[in-house]
Amino acid sequence: MTESPPKVLVVDDAATVRLYHSKLLGDAGFHVAEAANGLEAVEAALTTAFDLFLVDINMPRMNGYTCVETLRSETVGTPAPVVMISTEDRPGDADRAYAAGANLYLVKPVAADRLVRVCRMLTAGRGDAA
Amino acid sequence: MPIEFRDTLATLSGVVTVDEVDQFAGWLRTTPKARVSLRRCRHLHTGVFQAMLRYRPKVTAAPTDPFLAVRVLPLLNGGISGPPPARHRNATS
Amino acid sequence: MNALLAQFLAEAADLLAQVDEGLLQLEREPGDPALVNEVFRVAHTFKGSSGLFAFPELTRLTHAAEDLLDAVRGGGLSLDSGMTDDLLASFDLIRGWLAHVTTHERLPSSAAGDAARLITKLRAPLGGEKAQDEAAAVVHVARRVVPAWLDHFDQRWLTEASTWLRTTSSRMRFLRYTPDQGCFFRAEDPLHLVSEIPAVDRVDVVTPDSWPPEFDAYACLIGFVVATRAGVGEIDYLFRYVGDQIEVVELDGEAIRRHLTGEPPTATPHDPELVADAQAVLAGALRCLTLGDTISGTRLSATAHAVGAAARALGEPVDAAEADPPELREIVTRLLGDAAPTEAEVPPRPAIEMPADKPDRAHADDPGGQVGTKILKVDQEKVDHLMELVGELNVAKNGLPFLADAAEEEFGSRVLSRRIRDQHAGLHRIAEDLQAAVMDVRMLPLSVAFNRFPRLVRDLGRRLGKSVELTVHGEDTMADKDVIEALGDPLVHLVRNSLDHGVETPAERLASGKPPTARITLAAVADGDAVTVEIGDDGRGVDPDRVKRKAYQKGLISEDELETLGEADAVDLVFRPGFSTAEQVSDLSGRGVGMDAVRAGVAKLGGTVTMKSEPGRGTSTTLRLPLSMAVTQVMVVSVAGQRFGVPVDLVQENIRVPAAEMSRMLHSEVVVLRGEVVPVIDLARVLEMPWTPDPDSDRAILVVSLGDRRAGLLVERFHREVDVLLKPMEGLLAYAGEFAGTALLGDGLVLLVLNVKEVLGLADRVS
Repeated sequence: MTESPPKVLVVDDAATVRLYHSKLLGDAGFHVAEAANGLEAVEAALTTAFDLFLVDINMPRMNGYTCVETLRSETVGTPAPVVMISTEDRPGDADRAYAAGANLYLVKPVAADRLVRVCRMLTAGRGDAA
Repeated sequence: MPIEFRDTLATLSGVVTVDEVDQFAGWLRTTPKARVSLRRCRHLHTGVFQAMLRYRPKVTAAPTDPFLAVRVLPLLNGGISGPPPARHRNATS
Repeated sequence: MNALLAQFLAEAADLLAQVDEGLLQLEREPGDPALVNEVFRVAHTFKGSSGLFAFPELTRLTHAAEDLLDAVRGGGLSLDSGMTDDLLASFDLIRGWLAHVTTHERLPSSAAGDAARLITKLRAPLGGEKAQDEAAAVVHVARRVVPAWLDHFDQRWLTEASTWLRTTSSRMRFLRYTPDQGCFFRAEDPLHLVSEIPAVDRVDVVTPDSWPPEFDAYACLIGFVVATRAGVGEIDYLFRYVGDQIEVVELDGEAIRRHLTGEPPTATPHDPELVADAQAVLAGALRCLTLGDTISGTRLSATAHAVGAAARALGEPVDAAEADPPELREIVTRLLGDAAPTEAEVPPRPAIEMPADKPDRAHADDPGGQVGTKILKVDQEKVDHLMELVGELNVAKNGLPFLADAAEEEFGSRVLSRRIRDQHAGLHRIAEDLQAAVMDVRMLPLSVAFNRFPRLVRDLGRRLGKSVELTVHGEDTMADKDVIEALGDPLVHLVRNSLDHGVETPAERLASGKPPTARITLAAVADGDAVTVEIGDDGRGVDPDRVKRKAYQKGLISEDELETLGEADAVDLVFRPGFSTAEQVSDLSGRGVGMDAVRAGVAKLGGTVTMKSEPGRGTSTTLRLPLSMAVTQVMVVSVAGQRFGVPVDLVQENIRVPAAEMSRMLHSEVVVLRGEVVPVIDLARVLEMPWTPDPDSDRAILVVSLGDRRAGLLVERFHREVDVLLKPMEGLLAYAGEFAGTALLGDGLVLLVLNVKEVLGLADRVS
């Protein structure tokens, strides 16, 4: 397996959370990039083909839902899996996430091993279904 | 110097770091009846601990550090070694 | 401190400032939805980040604050000043905690009690304390599946532990840590990590079945199994960087007993957690497929992609890539099959509510957004260090003219001297540009110094029963960070003074025909090389007669002055040491620091303070400070063989006067310069240095001007002008007021830079 490591974009406005996720996934062998809000994420997705997105919901400038909708729209059109990570778990949040185009909705705190496991699962054999 | 070698006795003191691993392992490999004193040792790097598990020198003096004395020393004095007993290992792997 | 915690602390400081500002603004404009959302979002971000650390009180308190803000955001509650007080108090408490965390890396021991009190207050408007679901949210769902690696524990111990756990109906967490082979090269020390686990009951080591013939001491081949009563959160935190190398299970005595006796556990053939995650993805896909309209395009292929990944994880790969929605739904339903309960939780919805997300949209379209700007946060110390290096470069550069002189005088080479001077000129230009660039980095907006005032004015106003509105102008004006820092204390004092003594109570204001709410203004303007900050109020103003009487009573002015002093000069008396206008010292501004301290502080920075007042109409105080204070140009002179620096901006000219042309007037020497009499001060005498001028040679006199005073300093010799990085006096010399600071010269000598004002004062006293 000489494949290049899967590329993950971590989207969160909290720098600490970004650092944590980047370190965690970086150590687990992923290639990690960061974006501080939805708009930055969309910009990054336009220039780089990511294999996975981890998206926070509540962010300034462009929130997570709009971000995921845009990723799935014709403008960007990425079929890569999206995991939305919510700090809140409010009624309807999961539905909004799935309706926007997310593939998995998780509620913080997500245990380190679970996050790595989910990311591995969703990026294993990437490209097969795309 | 965290490790002092004299004939067949190595005295470990203070915090023994990864820098000592290579020399210590080499000494254990070439010293048949090696003995190790841990009395003044405060921490053992995993690599040094591993080398002791591999070559099993005799520990002549117990450490005073609580973690080393209570948790680590029993493992060096022949506690557990080798694979676990083969028993219903079908659960998960 | 680990990098993650350092990052959190840096981010927290920003967030706290934003919360404070937002809350105060909210109180003025209650119900502004964009503003509520903004404050909520910041509190929310804070809570999210705090959850990464083992600071449960911090997470609980921010959670309570967030819930309150959320209720306000939802419109169910309107924010009153009581709630604002509680919220501000909460974030103040957090600020204190974080200061403690910065030094001790843990919360203070009082945290739990303090937090509980505030949480009760914060939750009161929401109908009281919420059920303790936080504790439950942190802990994982326990696994009932017993992993095979339990056999690595000492079996006798395990049997005893099982009995004990059954007797006490309790559980323990078991951890398997399999370090990566190459972990030593990443400076990891697994045994050390194991030693950090709290509440450990048992540690056993897992060694390879057989050691490889060639033993590589740097390959980590061993692992550990640990039994602990530590919380999952603690374990997660400790192992956060090697999360993929540990497995944790929480077991009760019965599960261990069954394992030991060989009773078959009820387990699925796969990692149950992975199965659960895969099923979650499938359930999500099903939701997606059953929600409202049919999906197509990217959403369809993304869903197919995720279904494919989940199927692989379940060990039942499917070809979903080309499936249309009905086919995909069939695949998902089949895969979920047994996991019927999960499916049942997904009620099909006729239509989903997607409320227009106005606040967020507004942000998305915000033309003022600066998405593209990349801002680099740099530790202040690094910039200071850079500035020091620039200073040293200047010093090294300043050495070249000395070298050029030496080349000419000692070695007689004019050509070499010329070339060194050319080099110096080139280097000088680059050093100047570099200096300007670093100075620019050091520039901060004045908003940094102004930020605390909305809060200060609000809190003090409430305590004094005065209604005050603060207006801030020119907060974008930039100044050097040292200036901004130094501005803090004088500004606080002046604003407090305005609130305490200037502004009247609403009743008094109404009685004198003013609006009940007073106005305090903070305005900054850049003015050439200086920045001017004006603190104004529309309060009662300063009564010049009262000030004069007071000053006379305190013996600060003579009876003559009491009669003759003009209004402006009278107002200026408040800056005299020992003066205080308040009838009684209030607990707000009367902390032993008077306006004289403000003036002294500002003067130390090379600035001035002036006050203007109109009785009954208000007072305005103006601070004028240099924009930057890092580099000073000094003229080097020597006296008795020792060199001193004089700031160039005070030097008018240097003259040589034949000894015969010096004259005496009263007790001091003077020189007549273009018809004007200038007193001459013997610097050697003032500084108590042994030197008398050669009676036959010309006198070297440096003419300085300070305010409206002119004086000549008699020196031994003039040297050149140099740029120096002025360092404040330290140690024993710190109390020597006649020196403003020290600087390094090109030839390595330390230059003492004179504080001309003090020198003139000393001279007055000497004569």
